[in-house]
Formats: sequence, C-alpha cells, structure tokens
Amino acid sequence: MDYMGKKKKWLLSGVALLISAFHLIPFYILITTALKERGDFSSKWVFPKVLAFENFAEAWETASLGNALSNTTIITFVSALLLIVFGSMAAYPLARRQTKLNKFVFMIFIAVMVIPPLTALVPLYKLVVDIGMMNTLEIAILNNVASFLPLTIFLYSGFIRSTIPKELEEAAKMDGASTLGIFFRIVFPLLKPVTASILIISCVFIWNDYQFAIFFLQAEEVKTSTVALAGFFGENANRMNLVAAAAIMAVLPMVVLFLLLQKHFVKGLASGSVKG
Amino acid sequence: MKKLLKTVAVAAALTTIVTGCNKASSGNEANSDMTVVNLYSTVTNEADKITLQNVVKKFEKENPDIDIKENYPADGYEGMLRVKMAANDMPDLFDTHGWAIHRYGEYVEDLKDMDWVKDLDPALEQILKDESGKVYAYPLNQAKDGLTYNATLLEEYGIEPPTTFDEFLTALETIKKKGKGEVTPLWFAGADKSAFGQYFDQFSTPLLITGEQNFQKELLDGTFDWSNYTFLADKLKEMHDKKLLNEDILTAQNHQMVDLMAQNKIGFIVGGGMLGPSVEELNPEVKLGVIPMPVIEEGDEPSWIGGERHTLAVWKDSKVKEEAKKFLEFISQPEIVKEIAEGTSLPSGLTNTESKNYYSEYYEKYADVKVEPYFDRIYLPSGMWDPMGATGQELLSGTMTPDEVSKKMEEEYKRLLAQKK
Amino acid sequence: MIGVETRSKSMAGSSVEVKRNRKRRKESSLWWMYLPALAAVCFFILYPFLNGIKISFTNWNGFSQTYDYVGFSQYTRMLKDPDTWLVVKNTLLYGVGSTVLQNVIGLGYALLLNQSIRFRNFTRTVVYLPVIISPLIMGYIFYFFFAFQGGALNDLLVFFGMDKINALGDPKINIWLIVFVNTFQFVGIAMIIYLAGLQSISKDYYEAAQIDGASSFQQFKNITLPMLMPSITINMVINIIGGLKLFDVIISLTGGGPGYASQSMSTFMYDLYFNRQDAGYAATQGVFMAIIILILSLAALVYFKRKEIEA
Repeated sequence: MDYMGKKKKWLLSGVALLISAFHLIPFYILITTALKERGDFSSKWVFPKVLAFENFAEAWETASLGNALSNTTIITFVSALLLIVFGSMAAYPLARRQTKLNKFVFMIFIAVMVIPPLTALVPLYKLVVDIGMMNTLEIAILNNVASFLPLTIFLYSGFIRSTIPKELEEAAKMDGASTLGIFFRIVFPLLKPVTASILIISCVFIWNDYQFAIFFLQAEEVKTSTVALAGFFGENANRMNLVAAAAIMAVLPMVVLFLLLQKHFVKGLASGSVKG
Repeated sequence: MKKLLKTVAVAAALTTIVTGCNKASSGNEANSDMTVVNLYSTVTNEADKITLQNVVKKFEKENPDIDIKENYPADGYEGMLRVKMAANDMPDLFDTHGWAIHRYGEYVEDLKDMDWVKDLDPALEQILKDESGKVYAYPLNQAKDGLTYNATLLEEYGIEPPTTFDEFLTALETIKKKGKGEVTPLWFAGADKSAFGQYFDQFSTPLLITGEQNFQKELLDGTFDWSNYTFLADKLKEMHDKKLLNEDILTAQNHQMVDLMAQNKIGFIVGGGMLGPSVEELNPEVKLGVIPMPVIEEGDEPSWIGGERHTLAVWKDSKVKEEAKKFLEFISQPEIVKEIAEGTSLPSGLTNTESKNYYSEYYEKYADVKVEPYFDRIYLPSGMWDPMGATGQELLSGTMTPDEVSKKMEEEYKRLLAQKK
Repeated sequence: MIGVETRSKSMAGSSVEVKRNRKRRKESSLWWMYLPALAAVCFFILYPFLNGIKISFTNWNGFSQTYDYVGFSQYTRMLKDPDTWLVVKNTLLYGVGSTVLQNVIGLGYALLLNQSIRFRNFTRTVVYLPVIISPLIMGYIFYFFFAFQGGALNDLLVFFGMDKINALGDPKINIWLIVFVNTFQFVGIAMIIYLAGLQSISKDYYEAAQIDGASSFQQFKNITLPMLMPSITINMVINIIGGLKLFDVIISLTGGGPGYASQSMSTFMYDLYFNRQDAGYAATQGVFMAIIILILSLAALVYFKRKEIEA
C-alpha cells in the first residue's frame, strides 16, 4: 500500500484538501462574522473590507472574558490535577486487590457513568446551597472531579492490570517500602500514557462544560467562559459580530494548546483505544 | 513528555499572572466596606436596561458604600429563579413579572410600611396587595398592552384601527393586499415561545373574560371546558394559512422587530409596546400606535391588558434588607419614577408624577378603557405560560391541531392546579 | 518478565503454613486509597441521583418546600405521553445516527489519511479541531450558517437562484442538522481511533492477500474490518453514550424547537424542570433516560465484544 502511482497520490491528496476545506468553512464564517463592523450586513461568505478588530476588544470587555477565562483555566487545571492524583490512587487497589469489597466498589464506579448529569442536578443544587458553597470555584472543581473519576479509574485500573508487572511492586515491598510509597514512586511514573490521555480528555471536557456551570457558577466573579458566552449570545442577538468575536477568543486557548501539543493529543487518544 | 511538562508549567504561570491581574483590577469590588445587594430583573430591551443601569449608577453615587450587582438573565430568568426558590436562595431584589402574589408570595418582604405605598396606582392595588394589606413588590412601571401597529402604514393604506376581531382580520387582509408581499400584516418573533404566549394570553381576555358570557368562575374553580379556547388556535392557524403572518415565524427573533418595523415591513404586533422610541431612532418617519384589545363577543367593551411589567420585590430572608429597601426609596422619588417610566416607555407604577411617554397620546385617547389584568396571572395556575407559547409553536409547525392545543392546555391546567394545593 | 515466578508462594513453605498464612494474611483492600474518590462520587453523583429517583415519585414543582407522593403515576403518565416518545425517538436518532455517521465517515477519513499523501497532517489536524471546541460554541457557529435571515447557507442558495429555506425552524429538517453538527464535531475522534487501529495492522497480511490476488475490497472486508474490531467497539460505545446525552448543541442550534420537535431527553428534562414547573416528571424522565443509556451501551458493548472475539 505504500507505493502508489503519482496520479493516484495527487488525486487522493486533492480529496484530502477538499475535506480540509469543507471542515474549515464554519471557522471561516466565524471569522468573517467576527470581523465585520456593526452596520455591515454583507453576506457571511464575503470577507469584510474593513476589518473591525475593535469587535474583539468590545466583546472582551462586555462579556468579561478575562475573568471568565481565568476561572475556566483554574477550574480545569486544578480539577485535572486532583483527578490524576486521586483517580490513580483509587485505581490501584481496585486493580491489584481483588477482594469482594473492591469488586463491588469498582462496579459502583462503572455504573455511575451511565447517569445523565441532569438527573442529579436539582438535588445537587439544593445540597450545594445547604452547605453554602454556591458560586464557588471549589464546588465546580469538586463536581468536575467527581464526574470524571469513574472514567479515570476505569482507564487506570485497566492499564495497571494489563501492563504493569506486579514484580516491581513486590520487590519494593521486600525492601520495606510503604504502600503509598510503592504506588507513587514506582507505579505512578509508569502510568504516563494513561495520565496523558486522561489529562487531555478531561481538560477538554471540563473547559467546555456548560450544563453544570450554568447553574452553579452564575455569579459574575465565578462565571466560566461557556456561561459568559451563552449569556452574551442571549443579550446580543442583534450583534452577532460581537458574539462571534467572543466565541473566537473563548476557544483560542484550547486551540493554541492543541496545535502545540497535537502529537500528545492524538497519541493519548490512540493508545487508550488500542489497548482496549 | 518534557515538552508537555514545559507547556503545562508555562500555562500555569500565565494563569497565575492573569488571575492576579484580574483580581487586582477588580479588587475594589472585594472591598469589605461595601455592602453588596444582588438585583435580578427580567428587563431585556436595550433601552430599558440602560434606563435601569443609569438609575443604579445614580443611587450608587449617592450611596458609595452600597454596591448593586445587576443580573439580566433574559429568557433564563424564570428557570433560574425557580431553582433559587427551591434552594431558598433568592436575590435581595428581584423582579416578580406578574407573579408577586401567586408565585413569589412566600418569599417577599412586606413593604407596606414604605412611604411610596400611598402613591401606588390604584390599577395595581389588586395586583400587588392582598386583603390583609401586605404589599408584595415595588412597581417600576406597569403594563398597558394591546396591539401595537405601524400608524404611518395604516394611515397610508386608509385603515382604521380595528375594534373587533373581525375588523382586525380584515385590516390584516388589507395590509397584505396593499403591501404587495413586502409587509407582514401580523408579525411574531416565533423563535421565542413568549411571542405566541402573548397572543393567546391577550386574546383570552376578550374571548373568555370580558364578555357577558364569560368563564371567569369556571376558570377559577377548575371546571373550565377548554374547547372554548380552540377559537384562538383556529384563528391563528387560519392567519398562518392565509399568509397573514411572517414566513420565518418559527425562527424570527425578538431583536429583528425593531429593524423590520423601522423599514415599514410590519403592520401589527401583539403587545410589544416598548418598540416606539427604538424605531423612531432608526427611522423618524415611522410612527407607532397602540390600541386596546379588539373584542370578540359582539357588543363587548375593549380592554387594555395590564398589571405588573417590571417590579422589584425584597427577599424576606435577605441579609441586606435595609440597603435593598433604601434603593426602593430612592427610585420612588418623583424624578426617578418619571425617568424610569419614560425610559421604558410605559406608565409609571406610582401616581406621584406625570410622565409623558411615546404612547401618551394613545393612552389619553383610550383613557376610559378598562384595564384587565393579565389572563394567565389571575385565571390560570402558575406555570401555564410556557405551554401557552409552546403549543403555539407546535400548532404552526404542523405537529398539533387546534383541538390538540386545547387538549394540551387542559392537561397542564389540571396538573398545575393539583400542585397548587 | 513472563518467566519469573512470583515469590509469595515460595514464602509460604509447607502446605500447612500456606493454609495458616492464607487465613491470617487476608488481602487488605487498601480501601483508604479509593476513599476520597468514592466519597466524591457518592456525594456528587450517587446521592443526588437516588434523591432524584425519590422525586420521580412525587409531583414536586421544583421550587415549593412541599409536595405530595404520587406513587407510579408519573411513570404511567410518561409512558402515555406522546412527547416522551417523540423525545426518545429524537434521542435515539441523535445517538445512533451520529454514531453511524461518525464511524463510517471517520473510517473513511482514516483509510484516506493512512496512505502517504500530501496534506495528511494538515487534514488530520483540521478534522480533529472541532473536538476541542465547546459543543455550545459549535452550535452557535452553525447557527450562523443555518439561520434564516443572514445565514450563510441561505446566502448561497439565493446566490444560485434558489429559495431560502428555514432549516432550523422546520421540524423535519432540523433534527438532521443536529445529527450533522454533532457528527461534524466528533468525527475527528473516530478518525483518530481508526487511524491508530489501522496502523497497528501488520502489513504482512495485506502483502499475503495481494499475492493471493485479492481485490482491495476483499482485503478491506477480510483483513481490515476484523482487525479493527477493538477500535470499532470503543468508538461505538463512546459515541452512543455521548450522542444519547446530547444537550449543548441542541440548545444553541434550535433551542429544542419549534415547540418540542427537536428536544432530546436531556433538553426535555431541562425544560420540564425549569420552564414547566414539573420537577417530579423531569426526574421520571431522568430515570428512564438512565435506563435507556444503560441498556443501549451494554448492548453495544456485548455485541461488539462478541464480534471482536469472532474476528
């Protein structure tokens, strides 16, 4: 399959190019919309003659994007960190010690993945208010962590069981290392591929979360970028250019991160899937 | 992997810097000397929002130790407030949008000892007060809704403002003919359920309430036969089939109303009284008018649909009740009352001032016309507004017949009445 | 490491000691290691869900402090309600429709990009890009495309002399738009997983087949597909669960309308609770939804795992 006729190669390359163009169209439209001036009602396909870069500044200000983005960043990173630490820690005994209790607990973690987030929403809301943690970044972090723990534990335990040889741990135990020590110093570093996958998957999802944030992070100071953008859309239905500008700025961090770390994104997803 | 770590480290550093900057610049807000008052309003209109914001700014200038945080959730308002009610976590000041007594009643502070109560417009007495004298909310303005129309266009086409439903239909037909397809006789921002809700709600009054043969009693005691409601759905469908409504009715958005009206592309709208000044700004040649609801039963008297439009109630468990009340005292001063009324182009809620707004000449013309409260707020249990609008959407998208609309309304009516207990 | 014996057995010594040791040295569950995780999950997911089930047996309106228990009436109501079935139909369409499209197209893209052609990395990046973006924003982007007034699609149609179409407002069309947008956004994931799978298939198989004179199609059917089974399984299960839970994109693209025409089970639940004062019923729908997702994902898992073993 590696050798192919030049004609065929160019044909297929052309197809690839077409596909790329097709997939880029929505972004093109987003950009043209964002760069148009207020009174410019020209078609979305037409690139504006006057580039209204001020739309970005205005959108940034009005939607308080700086604040929103920093909130989103904090929530995402801290959640990811906690996920990795507590998720891997939880997966270890579930992978290594097959006691009845552990099997039961493992089942709970898996079963929970099916629950639609909304079903838990209202009682959760009431609970959060009762403990006085509404509109705090902490509660958003905790909830995001809880949401992804099942998947995290599932991936980690699968990996530990299938790939990490027990001998290393047993050797360390011989040498008198504590369980925690064994785990963090020997097992954890070997979990890098899964850690990368989880980091990437959870970061993207948490960054883009809307369903949860819209209820628990309404106050201005703690709004995340998705909430700010949704509100902005509603308030500016007749100023789509601002909304488009805001949307571009909201996705930019993730896009930049993605472009820089492409290889890891792709590898993380791929390796997780091949291991099954 | 090293590259990954490095990127993460840089990102973390940047985050800290950005957060630091943000906190620093907004640091003043975290000033512990200031009292924060949370205000939630249903105001969506650009002009109305600016009016309210200006008033808040004035208040904050006079009271530098009070910081009012305004929130305008627009469509999401009711949903958000319901969740807040469930958690018993209401905003300090919030809009009751017509439901001060019947929905939010348990959560509001009694304002009867405030000075402005004596100036309360009698038309709002029944709506904001109960028999025990408890005052539920402060009215920023009142609704006086009917049909809004392009007066310039109607004059040009030689159409007299209709007083009966049949005259109304005739007027729409005339507009269609004379407009040669450029003008939508009756326009709905149908992407928003409320547009249809407005139609059903406002016309229910002449259909079911004001006539000699009315259903007031049956609606209130739960025995209402909903087949009497089908007329409205039938007529709406008829109008749609005769192309008297806008083609993109199901995706048309609220904000398009102003632009289209200013381009003389709309004849009538149900409700929509706030348009006038915005349209004038865009095109001073276009003048808008309002008329009370045309009657359906022969010989009946037309009526305005009124009641609460924007209000502010104080949460009875608020920790900053005094400051919240202070704001109400501030805005009840005659000059501020006038400012708000004129800024939102609606009659004020208090009688301590004379305010002229865009539609004053029309209100004066129809000064003797009775003001009926909003149909759904009095005669239907809380929560019917949503199906009222949704059934309109389903009717026009072909998924429901007029009979099914009535049937759905009946189901919801029974279910929500059961909840009331 | 395969040949190394485990040492624990050799520690035991005689068989009697083994028995005694086995009894005394019970394996500790190390439960303290997963305690924080378990606590978080119970608190944030399990407990509220169980509470939610409780609510499904009431007529709570979502905000009063009081409500009544109504037994199974919400469930019978749900089964009789035409809206329920409309919404379930939509949800299945979104779930299964997106899954099928994503997998077919994703596989197609992967097959194309697995060859050494130009623009390969560029295309891969571009196709995967939407995955990074919030589904909410994706909905908005396509809203600009499909809006009746001023939408890019209509501009194009008018340019070619055709009539404008109200894609978002037509209940027969807009559900397909939702499937389209969801597919567009996540096809990159399927593509990447298939690419990885393709690259792990040894070239030897293909060479052998070519020597035997097998056509490209035969090679695909008998080598590629069976060897891709693990990838297919994962893609199917992930996509089904994701598609069934679809929410953000529906809100931003059609708002669930017109009426309830394009609602999915999640947006329907949201609407019932927040707009229709029907929290009890919303909870009932939630339970139903969880059951459906559970059944479908289990079914998919079992079905594809079996195919995997066969292959």
